[in-house]
Amino acid sequence: MSISLLSNTYNRQNWEDAEFPILCQTCLGDNPYIRMMKERYGQECKICNRPFTIFRWCPGARMRFKKTEICQTCSKVKNVCQTCLLDLEFGLPVQVRDEALQITDSIPKGQVNKEYFTQNAEAEMALEQQPQPYGQLAKAQPPSDVLMKLARSAPYYKRNQPHICSFYVKGECKRGEECPYRHEKPTDPDDPLSNQNIRDRFYGVNDPVAEKLLSRYKETPQLETPEDKSVTTLYIGNVIDLDEQQLRDHFYQYGEIRSVTVVPKQSCAFVQFTQRDAAERAAKETFNKLVIDGKRLTVKWGKPPAIQAGGGRLGDASGFESNYEPVPGLPTIVPMPSTELKADFFGLSSSSTPNVVASTAASSFLPPPPMPPPDLGDYTSSLSYGHMPPPLSSLRTTSVHYPSQDPSRVGSTAAHGKANE
Amino acid sequence: MVKVRKGNKPPPDGWDLIEPTLDEIEAKMREAELAPHDGKRKVETLWPIFKIHHQKSRYLYDLYYKRKTISKELYDFCIKQSIGDKNLIAQWKKQGYENLCCLRCIQPRDTNFNKKCICRVPKEKLEEGKVVECVHCGCRGCSG
Repeated sequence: MSISLLSNTYNRQNWEDAEFPILCQTCLGDNPYIRMMKERYGQECKICNRPFTIFRWCPGARMRFKKTEICQTCSKVKNVCQTCLLDLEFGLPVQVRDEALQITDSIPKGQVNKEYFTQNAEAEMALEQQPQPYGQLAKAQPPSDVLMKLARSAPYYKRNQPHICSFYVKGECKRGEECPYRHEKPTDPDDPLSNQNIRDRFYGVNDPVAEKLLSRYKETPQLETPEDKSVTTLYIGNVIDLDEQQLRDHFYQYGEIRSVTVVPKQSCAFVQFTQRDAAERAAKETFNKLVIDGKRLTVKWGKPPAIQAGGGRLGDASGFESNYEPVPGLPTIVPMPSTELKADFFGLSSSSTPNVVASTAASSFLPPPPMPPPDLGDYTSSLSYGHMPPPLSSLRTTSVHYPSQDPSRVGSTAAHGKANE
Repeated sequence: MVKVRKGNKPPPDGWDLIEPTLDEIEAKMREAELAPHDGKRKVETLWPIFKIHHQKSRYLYDLYYKRKTISKELYDFCIKQSIGDKNLIAQWKKQGYENLCCLRCIQPRDTNFNKKCICRVPKEKLEEGKVVECVHCGCRGCSG
């Protein structure tokens, strides 16, 4: 419903006046020198139908003149560019951004509700000292990798091209060379991308471009975890001019690294963790996302026997890396109870089973703490220094299972200290 | 319909020599005024008017200033009868405006950013191969 320019601005849906448009970089174009025309109340907002200040400019040579299509209130509500209605941060459709960040602001679309909503939104925004994003966007969010991947890195100026010359399509364009419209084949009308609606795009509903982007994202290859549970090695590809130190620096956050081997000839590297879950965590976090030194690295699971032998061989050649014995006494994998015991948590079905289960658990838990309880007992019971030597001597006889246990190694990495040097 | 004359003095001496040409041009103008608008852009319908107007004034200007074949009396008579556009001819006397297409194209108030029309940009300064037909009079470049 159109309204006239009122003098009473309290609690009314007003015409909008603005100083400067809210635009994205692509819409502004490649030329840093832009002449922009401002027309107060030049058009109705395509969403809320209020007259607002339109800005019109040329985004570059051979581009059509662009103008702001929606008012500033509507663009601030959804954090989109006033002309292209794509997100200001990522340049993605509203639907994509909302799905990725799981934003469920529901903005009224019906006539009166919409007017009421914009009226209140505008009043709120006018009161704020520092502009805040509206609604759920204001929550601090971790950077979404979906959006980072889908977002374009460079401005896409093809959007600013002139429209297709409809006379040319009919074969009747008399302007020829000087025709400013594009003389190209029009897009296929069956293509779902050609039925786009500004309202749908704004509210993030039924947007064919968004659907296409999301389906393309879903089809990207996902990482599968290998069934062999003892594999803790990751294969890293596209390793060009990267050294072991850089890989260590990155992968140590996921867990203790057992070994890192770089194979420059095949531009790959193998990172072996001590714990399986550390390796899984590393794989999950870095798959398709790892970029070191500007190079995107491919991450896959390593194949068990081959690389361990290869890693060992090459490691001995390098002079320090060596395979360590597995730590004794770690809890072994407890076998699953038989099927009739699976739901039997209290051992109600038979009396013999509790003893069996308890004994295996006890036996598996016994080995690891041989030393700590006696030590604690010693320290608390007496303060004589005579009790110091036993713990030290017992430590010396411990075999080395991890690089950090190697007493001759000083520092966190091999580079800092080497055995026998 | 006989053309109206301003004032009651008869035309000066050389009038009979230039009258046929002027009649032709005026006939062309009448045709252009009556031409149908089909198949033309809205602005394009006015272009022939501006072109013929330019032509008429040009003829007069050429005769008097360039070839000097008519007397000042006759020239002033033609200007008074609105056969040639006085203001347009005044522009043609200025350096750089010798081939000016029409007076609209140098009017800054007609443009969005208070500049002259695109047809006033010399072809060297305009990017390569760009064909312009200015929206006011259909001119393809009238400077230089």
